[in-house]
Amino acid sequence: MKDFMMIFIGADYQELGLSPEQLQERMGKWFAWNEKMSAQGIVKSGDALVPVVKRVVGKDRTISDGPFADSKELIGGYYIVSAESADAVVEIAQDYPDYDLGGTVEIREVMVFNQ
Amino acid sequence: MQHKIIDHLFRHHYGKMVAILTRFFGLAHIETIEDAVQDTFVKATLQWRNQQPDNPEAWLTKVAKNRTIDLLRSLKSEKNRHQQISAGTISIPISDLFLDHEIEDSQLRMIFVACHPSLKPQEQIAFALKSISGFSTIEIAAALLTREDAITKRLQRARKSIIANNIQFEFPAPHELQSRLVRVMEVIYLTFNEGFHSTNTDNLIREDLCGEAIRLCKLLLKKENFRTGSMYALFALMCFHASRLESKTNSKNEIVDIREQDRSKWHLPMIELAKNALTKATEFDEISIYHFEAAIALEHVKASAFSDTNWNIILYYYDKLYDIQPSDFSLLNKAIINIQLNKLQAAKEILEAIKCDKLGQRQYLYFGCWAEYYSKKGDKLTSISCYEKAIANTSNALEKAYLKKKMDFLGTTN
Repeated sequence: MKDFMMIFIGADYQELGLSPEQLQERMGKWFAWNEKMSAQGIVKSGDALVPVVKRVVGKDRTISDGPFADSKELIGGYYIVSAESADAVVEIAQDYPDYDLGGTVEIREVMVFNQ
Repeated sequence: MQHKIIDHLFRHHYGKMVAILTRFFGLAHIETIEDAVQDTFVKATLQWRNQQPDNPEAWLTKVAKNRTIDLLRSLKSEKNRHQQISAGTISIPISDLFLDHEIEDSQLRMIFVACHPSLKPQEQIAFALKSISGFSTIEIAAALLTREDAITKRLQRARKSIIANNIQFEFPAPHELQSRLVRVMEVIYLTFNEGFHSTNTDNLIREDLCGEAIRLCKLLLKKENFRTGSMYALFALMCFHASRLESKTNSKNEIVDIREQDRSKWHLPMIELAKNALTKATEFDEISIYHFEAAIALEHVKASAFSDTNWNIILYYYDKLYDIQPSDFSLLNKAIINIQLNKLQAAKEILEAIKCDKLGQRQYLYFGCWAEYYSKKGDKLTSISCYEKAIANTSNALEKAYLKKKMDFLGTTN
């Protein structure tokens, strides 16, 4: 088994102006997904991220504060999951609830160094 | 570990939180308050993704309390600049505000604010849906079949009027109460009708509008001051209608008229609720349009089949209704009943008296009624041309399809 990071990009609820009703519906879907993965022992950890961004860039260590131009590329959260292969994670990611809001799941394998 | 969250918990909690905070800080701050409340829901949504609290309601209430204290702190520094901040502050302690009866009290105040006479009717509904029922601008636009920017403007105008007219977060004075209640009932009924008669393709939105109207009416009936015959009658009327909301469209989302509806699918508990309320409504001296409308709805529910409908008594109720509130809509309904009773001459006379342009968006119903009339007369050609006019007069795809089906059916019969 390998570790993978599922990175959730876009679909910022605040910016989309979702109503309380819609938020509750979204949350239910996330909760169901999380429960399903937990039952299979897939999820190792994960968190949602506050949509406030600070960036430190370049050799001058220039600091800039968000919001940045393309909020569609804002990372909203991540899960670390354990799976056989990237394809298996693609399967898991089918249940990500926010595709219809323009959200994206990026799947990256956690690098392991063999001694 | 299953915590099923109550349906509409967020939506209803939104209304509660906004009402409590407004009671504390005053209506002048309603926009800040709504933003703050919205923010707590976004946060809850993210935080609860992986782990829901044992008692979501209690969690939300706690957050609302903390939010109140946060806001109080941040506003305190501005207090010198804005004297009115303290104007909203009331004498009861913060924690008491979160007791159930105080929450209800705050929500009732908000209903009267939404229906304040200095707000225009369209602003009242939009404001009520936003601040009491927690609809987003997009949802309100979808519910009222209006553009989103129009709703944003209505909400802005409503908030401006509230501040400009220095509306207080209070119940109306006793001498004003009756007239204010009349408006409250109108707004509730309008909201309900938007849901019930709208042929919005989104069934959920229709149900939500009807559900909210019924919920607010129920909230008002909890308080003795607001328990009037017409309030009970309005509640009865809405419950009668709501009992057959699901039967109004089929699985293909086509309109099913009352003639074709599967009466066994009408919701019985809702009908019982309505009957009880109507009985209560008649225990008061007053009699209102809601009484007669509820009585008409009761007749429809009583009939085990369309053919069993007691049209004579329904016509009698429509006559009474017209006496209280003469309108071209009432006339149209009377014409429809007369056609059912085969009193075609009477129907024709009524139809001729109707000023079609007064019917606004519902002109197609008028032409549809003429089409029925000519169809009964056996004048198929004129009937078809009336159906064509009806179809031309509605932009709603569902209505168009429904009328076309009726027209095509006419073409196949001899």
